Amino acid sequence: MSKFLFVVPPFFGHISPTLSIGASLIAKGHEVKWLGITPLAATHVPEGGEYIYPEADLVEYQEELQKILKRQDDGPACSGPEVMKLALEETYVPIARIMMKGLGNFVDTWQPDVIVNDCITFAGALCAHIKGIPCVTTTPVPPDVMGDTANSAPKIFEWQENLVKGLQQEFGVYGDDIVIHSRKMNLVFTSLEFAGLQDPMPHMKFVGPVKGRPNNVAFDWERLEKATTPKVFVSLGTLLVDIRAAFFQKLIDAFADAPLTIVAATSPDIFEKWPDNFIVSGFVPQAELMPKMDVVICHGGFNTVNDTFINGLPMLITPIAYDHFHTAKLIENAGCGLKIRYKRLRIEDLKKAIFELLENPQYRNAALRIKDTFLAAGGNDKAVQLLEEFAAAEQVMAVVN
Amino acid sequence: MDTIISTTKLNSNEIFDLMTQFITEVIGEEFVEEMDITMESSFTKDLEMDSIEIVSFSEKIKTHFGEQIDFTGWLSNMDLDQLINLNLGTIVNYIEECQ
Repeated sequence: MSKFLFVVPPFFGHISPTLSIGASLIAKGHEVKWLGITPLAATHVPEGGEYIYPEADLVEYQEELQKILKRQDDGPACSGPEVMKLALEETYVPIARIMMKGLGNFVDTWQPDVIVNDCITFAGALCAHIKGIPCVTTTPVPPDVMGDTANSAPKIFEWQENLVKGLQQEFGVYGDDIVIHSRKMNLVFTSLEFAGLQDPMPHMKFVGPVKGRPNNVAFDWERLEKATTPKVFVSLGTLLVDIRAAFFQKLIDAFADAPLTIVAATSPDIFEKWPDNFIVSGFVPQAELMPKMDVVICHGGFNTVNDTFINGLPMLITPIAYDHFHTAKLIENAGCGLKIRYKRLRIEDLKKAIFELLENPQYRNAALRIKDTFLAAGGNDKAVQLLEEFAAAEQVMAVVN
Repeated sequence: MDTIISTTKLNSNEIFDLMTQFITEVIGEEFVEEMDITMESSFTKDLEMDSIEIVSFSEKIKTHFGEQIDFTGWLSNMDLDQLINLNLGTIVNYIEECQ
């Protein structure tokens, strides 16, 4: 049996799939812990696992950390190039810096066999490199978001390289190699077909969506059962707090009293009154809810994208910022949904898109094809198998060397 | 109109008007109405153009001016701050110089 340490960022969308794989690893008898720099509610952590929040080692960074977290609210208003700066320069690199001390101390104490770092949580792979611990990376989004910047935008590529190498050098890693991601194994939670990559590097393992993280929130199932009109699930994910009211106001303008049932995952208190055909709930058991839906509206958060297509549902994607545009392009390429950019969202187009998705079977059929590729990718079982094989191979290597 | 490659040199006001026309075609009239497009308008911030819109804007420039203006090549050599600060005036100047 092996000890796996998942190193995660303070963003639930990135933590979520690791909780699912972690639960499967625990079920196979492995020891699993998570480490992050903000507290995580115990209800999210799979039974038998533990989430480490190295509070004492973070004291000196608290002010900076809070500033970084607050800065994320600016994301939706940022242009593409500004988001790149916000993400890499103002978020990922400083978070890695903040994380290294607490992570290093915990790794020395617990001695994990494998460190699994989320793709934007550079400290995990960097620490693994420094301490000589085998490392796997997890990538919740379809990769290649930035495209081939080395050729298409050389100055932006240089900027990325300099930021990452600067970080590495601060921790004594010199040379030209980038060590913030595993070069040996990268688990990607989508299918190769959906990601649209022709010739991925062999260490990129497309395992599809994973599931099974603890999620015991209540839901008004009775009310949903009574609904007879087509059901539309709407989610904005866990971030993007500032634009929530504006987004849902557009939905109300478009669908109040339409022959549809809107299931909205958002805190009900953003409006005093909701239309009668809206079922609104702050937290929802999304995985159980999704199979009962007919169509999904979301901005392109990848956990909702995965939940949608693993159920073969068509999607209206309304990209706002970050990687949403890349995901929207993949959805259009696959034919399994429609895209309207949030900043160009007209009420009339919103209505037209939803009825088109409900009435024209081509979108649903394309979504079912994506579902097949997701299922074939293997999910939790495949991810666990790959991680176990990796740990075993690395243990053999350690003995041989 | 914009499929004909122009041979006469345009002055900066004419280029500005043409760019405004392309922007309107790309992002839609009703969104442009809410904006006050000037030489100072930043491309990504004020006009809120995303990469797909910038690509179709580039294509309009290419169709109109032909090979004499390599707008995409010019953009791809910019660094992030240049892209963030790119405004309509800079584009107008660039086109005026290339003609």
